[in-house]
Order: sequence, then C-alpha cells, then structure tokens
Amino acid sequence: MKKHQQTRSGCTPPKLLTLFGGCLTASLIFSAPLIASDVSFSGEASTILRMKTNLEKKDVYPLYEYLRLSLNDNRDDGSSVGFYLGAWGRLDLADKTTDKFSDADLQYAYLSYRSAKNNLAVNFGRQFISEGVAAEKVDGLYLHTDLAAGFAASAFAGKSVVLETDAKGGNFIYGTRISQSMPKYYSVGLSALKSEDSDKNRYREEEGIDLWLHPIQQVELTGRSSYNSITEGWMEHAYSLSITPFESFKFGADVSNINYKDYFFNVTTNALQLSTLLNSTNPNPNEELTTAGVFATYSPIKNLTVTADYKNYAYQLAGDANYYGGKITYSLPGSYSAGFSGHRMEGSSDRLRFYEYRLYVAKKIGHAELSADFVNIGYDKKINDVKNSYAATASAGYEFSRKLKVGADFEYSKSPEFDNEVRGLLKLTYAFDTKNAEGGVKSEK
Amino acid sequence: MKNKLLIVLIPFALSVLYACANTTSVARVHPEAVVGIPNCTECHSDSLGLFNHQAADFFKKHRFYAGNSRQSCAACHQESFCSDCHARKEEIKPADKFADSPERNLPHRGDYLSQHKIEGKINPASCMKCHGRQNNARCASCHK
Repeated sequence: MKKHQQTRSGCTPPKLLTLFGGCLTASLIFSAPLIASDVSFSGEASTILRMKTNLEKKDVYPLYEYLRLSLNDNRDDGSSVGFYLGAWGRLDLADKTTDKFSDADLQYAYLSYRSAKNNLAVNFGRQFISEGVAAEKVDGLYLHTDLAAGFAASAFAGKSVVLETDAKGGNFIYGTRISQSMPKYYSVGLSALKSEDSDKNRYREEEGIDLWLHPIQQVELTGRSSYNSITEGWMEHAYSLSITPFESFKFGADVSNINYKDYFFNVTTNALQLSTLLNSTNPNPNEELTTAGVFATYSPIKNLTVTADYKNYAYQLAGDANYYGGKITYSLPGSYSAGFSGHRMEGSSDRLRFYEYRLYVAKKIGHAELSADFVNIGYDKKINDVKNSYAATASAGYEFSRKLKVGADFEYSKSPEFDNEVRGLLKLTYAFDTKNAEGGVKSEK
Repeated sequence: MKNKLLIVLIPFALSVLYACANTTSVARVHPEAVVGIPNCTECHSDSLGLFNHQAADFFKKHRFYAGNSRQSCAACHQESFCSDCHARKEEIKPADKFADSPERNLPHRGDYLSQHKIEGKINPASCMKCHGRQNNARCASCHK
C-alpha cells in the first residue's frame, strides 16, 4: 500500500451522519403540519426492443423496460414532498447481450423535501449529486440551503454507487460545497469530497473552487479548478469565457489543463487507469494535457445559427492536435430541426487525421415524427482497409395520444470494425399521470 | 472540549444564518412547458437567460451550471433526464436511445466503436467523467 493512501485517522466512516440524515428527512416529511396539499403522480414506461449483432457476430434481441415514477405532495405553503424512481431491466430474447441473459438497475430512488423558502432541499436515497467537485451517484443523504448574506451550503454523505468491475471502488463518500453569490453578478463556491475504501485507505480527497461571473449580461466566465489532496496536485483547471456583444452574435474561448497522475487517480476502469494510458511511447506519468479553443456563433435570422470553432490539444509529452470546423443549425422547437457540421482533426498520428461530417433533419408532421441522421468520418489513411466510416440512421414515430407513442429506428453503418452493420430499435412509450402532474410540464428531452 | 463546543456552535450558527436568509426558492416546476431545445433568453433577461440551451457553448458548460445551480436545472428536467447519460449502469448509449432526436447534443453518435479509440487517445479525461468509476461495465467487456 502506498504511503499517501494510508488513512489519516482511525475514525470509522461517519455512518451516524447517514442515520441522522434519515431521521431528519423523515421528520421533515412526516411530522410537517397537516396542511392542505395537492398530490400528483406521473410516470412513464418505455419498452424497447433492440436488434443488432454483437462483437461475436451473433444476432441479439435485448428487450428493455425503462420505468420512471414521480409522486409529489405539493402543499399550500409552497413546500413539497416527493418520491422519485427510475429503473430499467433487460431480457435477452436470443443470444446473450453481455455475460448475462438478463440484467437490471435502479438508477435513482429518493425521497425529497423542498421548502418554499431558502431553497432548502433534503433528499434521501439513491440520487445523482452534482455539487462543485462532486458529480457522483450516491446512496445517502443530500442537504442544501441558502444562508444569510448570499451564502449557500450543501452537504452529502452516503455510499458510492460504483461498479467494481476492474478495481476496488470507493465505499463511504461525503462532501460539501459552500458558495457566496449575488445572483445578478457572480457566484463563487468552495467544495470538497472525501472517500475511503473498505480497508479504510484514503481513496479520494478532492477540493475545488468554482466560479460563475457575469458582471454584465453580455459577459460570462465560468469554470472550476480541482485539487487532489492525496497526490497533492491539481487535477484540472477548466474555464470558459463568452461574450455576447449583440443578441445575434456571440464569441468565446475555453481553456483546460489536466494532469494525468492527479486526474486519473484511483479510477476503477482498466482502460482509464494511469498505467494503461501511459504506454511504451509515452511512459512519463507527468503527462499533461492543455486544451484551448475559440468559437464564434452568429444568428442572421431567428432559429438559424452559424458556428465556427477551433480547439487545440497540446500534450506536454505526446504532441499536438488541432480540431476545427463549423456548424449550421436551424431549429423550430417542437416542429422542425436540421443541421450540418464539418470538422477536421489534424493530429500527429494517422488515426488523428480525418474529416468529420454530420447532416441531420427532424420534422414533426401532425402526430408523426420523422428524422434522419448521417455521420461520416473520412480518414486520411485507411484503418482496417476502410477509408470512410459512416452511420446512417432513419427514425419514425407516431403519437397515438398524449400518453401513447410508438417509434422505430433503423441504422446502417460501415466502419473499421464492421463491414455492413444493420441495427434496429422499436420503442413503445406509455405515460401515465394524474391531472396537472409535473410529468406533463417537465421535459424528458 | 473544543469538539463539543463546535458541535453546539456550528448548528447554532447555521440556524441563525438560515433564519436570516429569507430567499424565495427556485420554482420546483417551470411554470410553462418547455418544448425542444429552449432559448432561455426569450423570456429571461436575468442570469437565467445565460442557460440558453441553443448557445453553441451550452453543452460543454452544463456541468458547471449543474455544479452550482442544480435547482434551476430541476425546474425543467426530471431526474431521469440526468440519468439517461449520467448512469451508474446503462447498456443503451444515449445517441441510440434518442435517435429520434438528432438535434440533441448526445455523446457517442455514429460509429463510436471505432471513434472511441481516437477520442480516448486525444482526451481520455472526456471518458473519465462518465466511465472512470461508474457506468464502466461496457468498457470492461473489452478492456479486461
């Protein structure tokens, strides 16, 4: 075991915090005064049948069921209590899709209390936490509230929801974010997370500062720096600036820097472990990637947007690559959309020299929706004897009612991996809700 | 003694700060249904207008917005919206699940089996966010 991975103290993970959180959530939800309320329920079930060929060239027909449920008790005082659940299951009708004929997952399931004042939120259960340096799926407790003088605080604690396929994942994880903001002008946040593995070794300790500055409506700077306390190095700096001098014209720049040994520390995926990323041609663990990009976008008429962009990838040790091109899009939300993009990747190796094109169109005609999408990658030098790798997708759907919709997708592709691949997908979506339930308002897209 | 004092003082200080905040919570549900990819500036002239989803740089900045203003996202999006991509475990890539919405900025379009080798080399950090510690069963099927 590495010295820096030794646990700093002999304390057990703060399980009491989770217990405390459970009690707090329950008391907020169930001991609230009996006041008038409006209970709403919504849900959606999607049945999806895929048809494709797996890597062993065998036909597979996995049948999926996705379920989303949302139950809300909206009280007259403006507070609400909700329960949210999302899950899926799969059954293979022919050969195995993975190493199992069936599989399932609980994506999220949590109780939530939200107050009408101070953005107070208490969530308990499986949920996705997004607070500063934390972007984690956790089984546990989450709290958020505004405080005086523009301050706000959030905290979470629970068990990391990870798949320990390749390496031992984190066990107990907890973190916090404290911010200060003037909503019209800026928001500055400090955040941290900490996790130990089951042997009580230091698994992750990350701290970060995030900024969102918009001193005037036309200028916006946002980004984050994160630090790894175990490796004692900066993991990432990522910042983005945009300026909108006119309503129809916007330009901006973004820059990021990633230090491999700090960023890819204790990942659980073999492909992304530092030892895998660093190979015989690039064995130095001090590899560093800096990206810098610029873009400009112009809307000559409403709903039409023309964008040009450029990005440079600069490795300290492995060489550079440039990615540049443009995009034209036209969009009438809920009715019609179309776009064309073309980009060039110019890198130091053969695989990093290619042209990329994409053309798509989607149109709603009455209750029917039609779309087509074509993506092409043209390599400068053939890969597996293939010069052009492309995928063409056609999709059609019909909305029988607000609740029932069916659709079908068909995709044909040719690539360095598959000569002629044909894939299909059938989808039946059924929505069920009580009148005025939030499912009728919130967007699923 | 010092720890016991902190245990009393911190909740007390937080309670006072909470009582003095007196802000109005972000609407739990957006008052109007949002269709397609919205241009938030059409209605919002304040900082909420900066969430304009049609902006060319929105997709790369959405992680910063979600990290400091999650309540605003939740006014329009259900939790399942996040889970479609930020999944612990997912077998259908977002671009396939929503092939009928080509206007959406979804990762892994087209022949991604070939392309991921290129994007994984040019910027493995872009893979790490979703596949470093979660949603990595598909990676493991080849990357033993």
